[in-house]
Amino acid sequence: MNEPMIPLRFRLNGQECRAEVDGADLLIDFIRDRLGLTGTKRSCDMEICGACTVLLDGKAISSCSVFAFEVDGRDLLTIEGLAGREGLHPLQQAFIDCGGFQCGFCTPGMILLAKSLLDENPDPTVEEIREYMDANICRCTGYQMIIESIQQAAKRMNRERT
Amino acid sequence: MAIAVGQSVPRVDATEKVTGRALYASDVRLPGMVHAKILRSPLSHARLRRIDASKAAAIPGVVAVLTRDNLDVSSPYYGAYIKDQPVVALEKVRYVGDIVAAVAATDEKVAERAVHQIEVDYEELPGIFNVEAALSESAVIIHDENPARKDPKYGYGANLIRHDSSNIFYHFHYERGDAERAFNESDHIFEETYHLSSAQHYPLESHVSVADYQGEQVTIWSGSQTPFPLRQEIARMFGLPLSRVRVMVPYIGGGYGAKSGIKYEALAVALSRLAKKPVRLSLTADETFKTLCDPSAKVTIKTGVQKDGTFVARHCEVYLNGGAYANSGPTVTERAGYRAHGPYRIPHVKTNCYCVYTNTVPGGAFRGFGGPQVSFAYESHLDMIAHHLKIDPVELRLKNLLDRGELYTAGNIPIDCDLRSELKLLAEKIGWGKPEAERNSKAGVKRGKGIACAVKDGGGVNKEANATVKILIDGSVILFLGAAEIGQGVRTALMQVAAEELSVQPGRVQVAPLDSAYTPFDRGTHASSAITVMGKAVQAAAQDARAKLVVMAVEVFQAPSAAIRLDGGKIFAGEHSASIDEVMRRYFGDLEGEIIGNGRFKVSRRDDAPLGYPATFWENGLAAAEVEVDEMTGMVKVVNYVSLTDAGKMINPLHCRGQEEGSVLFGIGHALYEQLVYRDGQLINPNLVDYHLPRFRDLPRSFHSIIVEEGGGTGPFGAKGIGEGGTLAAAAAICNAVYDATGVRLYAVPLTGQRIWAACAQKTQ
Repeated sequence: MNEPMIPLRFRLNGQECRAEVDGADLLIDFIRDRLGLTGTKRSCDMEICGACTVLLDGKAISSCSVFAFEVDGRDLLTIEGLAGREGLHPLQQAFIDCGGFQCGFCTPGMILLAKSLLDENPDPTVEEIREYMDANICRCTGYQMIIESIQQAAKRMNRERT
Repeated sequence: MAIAVGQSVPRVDATEKVTGRALYASDVRLPGMVHAKILRSPLSHARLRRIDASKAAAIPGVVAVLTRDNLDVSSPYYGAYIKDQPVVALEKVRYVGDIVAAVAATDEKVAERAVHQIEVDYEELPGIFNVEAALSESAVIIHDENPARKDPKYGYGANLIRHDSSNIFYHFHYERGDAERAFNESDHIFEETYHLSSAQHYPLESHVSVADYQGEQVTIWSGSQTPFPLRQEIARMFGLPLSRVRVMVPYIGGGYGAKSGIKYEALAVALSRLAKKPVRLSLTADETFKTLCDPSAKVTIKTGVQKDGTFVARHCEVYLNGGAYANSGPTVTERAGYRAHGPYRIPHVKTNCYCVYTNTVPGGAFRGFGGPQVSFAYESHLDMIAHHLKIDPVELRLKNLLDRGELYTAGNIPIDCDLRSELKLLAEKIGWGKPEAERNSKAGVKRGKGIACAVKDGGGVNKEANATVKILIDGSVILFLGAAEIGQGVRTALMQVAAEELSVQPGRVQVAPLDSAYTPFDRGTHASSAITVMGKAVQAAAQDARAKLVVMAVEVFQAPSAAIRLDGGKIFAGEHSASIDEVMRRYFGDLEGEIIGNGRFKVSRRDDAPLGYPATFWENGLAAAEVEVDEMTGMVKVVNYVSLTDAGKMINPLHCRGQEEGSVLFGIGHALYEQLVYRDGQLINPNLVDYHLPRFRDLPRSFHSIIVEEGGGTGPFGAKGIGEGGTLAAAAAICNAVYDATGVRLYAVPLTGQRIWAACAQKTQ
């Protein structure tokens, strides 16, 4: 009955990490309960709301719908790993400056999805933001101020790049 | 010059929330904590013959199983107004999803497995799924146990009518003038019936309760909007002194009315007492859907009008589907009834509003609190009257709207904003009356505009609010307040109020966590009331602290109090000045002492006010929508939307805008997509795949929110509550735009493609 535990080696927020998981463990439970990183939020459990979004090899995924063992050999970024030593990531700062959150429960997922967007497309149009961000739900803001947050972050990041 | 108020200062919770460090009830972990799961009824209505939990209890890892057989409490029932909901089912289950039993185990999976090992023997009863069936003569009585209730004392014009041995659990009646006679004397009488579906709040964070019962005291972590009433209910049910019930509210992942009153906390407490361990109960999305909803409504509205469009009389009959338990249904009923005739000058009014038990998910508080149901009806109805009388809908509103200073009803505060100038501004912004170049440009797609204007009486009327402000010896400040941070930014805004009163920089004021062991009493965070009612308490507390500081400065500077002035964190007395901490150090000596300021606020009772209390302010919501309707598919697209509300005075403009825009999207969701669908008593869409919440793509392409500041609010610096106004006018504005586009009047929302297509098809036949 007892399946052997699966050993994992992966990068967690920039650090090498080792762990053992059960084959049935979901990534969200592994992150929240085993790694103690509760910034990743649980809500719909069906890959619809995006509250549990994390970046796996830079791509946004819903951790509620992925097994924990799938992170083996890969790079996992959760919201706790986004701010650098020099302070908040420009997206985090822009969400504060532009009122991109209220209750804050969708915010970690929303910011990580936005990071994935800006990594792929550093200067998105409003239309492109709407389309890409449609994967995640916010119940508080009415979305407009999230769009403005992302636009502002993109502007800042592009300025820093040049 | 304001130092804090009126500035978009960063939220006090900003860094925590963008870094994932913010702690929510769902993140609370305690040593030795076990996890709970609920057994829910698969039947809509049944008597419980026998429950056998022995197999579940024998599963390794199970530490407690709670059923009616071992529920040992002083009182098993809870409810905000009617005590009709038991911790676990006693005699009957009353809807699919009703709580039958619960298990606590070492982990959630074990608890889940154990729950399904509980054997229940049901005797099925006929189910009642809508208001019509609940009111039929042969209907079974869903609550035959005659629950205890606490009825309010109404004032002039309003009364509560009791219906014993009936499924009607609340009936609010309001009347003024002589509506029947006035109808006879009217030139025209219009009568229509509107339907609004029930909706789900869906806060992204589900209901989570962590309870730790130790010795004869209990500590609860809950994302509750009403921690103090929760404390009261737990103390009453478990026979504990209030001082032995401690409630802590971390950040709350959204509520919109869903987290008001007691929900699952008593169940967690009962399990913790049985298990002798801390218990965590966290719901799934499916369970959130089966906890509470916005009651569906049927609103019949009849209006007597003179030839020139002057309103004379209005009769409103509102039926709300209250579901299986009363919850806050009684107050929603009262408010829907009181708000039903709209912000118009109508001499003769008669309203009956009923809330009815059915075997469906309980209905209760939801953003707008009965307002969206009735405003959808009265603003669609007004549009229809305007078209019938060939009067422009904006003109008809301008003719009948109440003026600033005019009374909505006797005994209430007068209307505190200029609705007519607001409506004119809104009409201008949407280009009302201007011919549209591309009105019917795309084949089969029609374009139209609609407008709506609604008000609701601002809440928190019968609410005691207290706050404490401490100035510490280094001049920094801590604010203690019971308003829950549910996302609206209230703790930031009230920090700004305290900073302003003390003339210190906002960064010098910390807001203490909400913990009933230290935080002064507050009745609850609901009905947009925190900024006004708690705002007044915070302002009074800060003023009290400031007065004490001035007394110290008088002694330190040896100057008369009239000569003392606070500005920018400094205290001035003639040509002398010192910082706050310097004055305190000189007064107390180093490292000694602090200043404690207390404040409270409560609206006084007025017997002539229909609801017994005047409103705290008038919350308003105006909306103009421009839509595209594809008559072939029935799809509606909102292409342009302008909303308008009056904040009185914006304490934090950026976050006022956030409240308004979030509130609008709630309204748009309800107007276009959201509805709970039942088949044979089973809720068939309790998940986010089948229940459509508004997403980025649903945000209108062009979207503007306008917030005016008319300074008339009860709150500090003239502030009024916002955050519900945007929800009030959305459905009617969109339906009116659909009518303008297609000539088809929709009497029910949401405006599903099927509904519109059918209505359009019927028109062309």
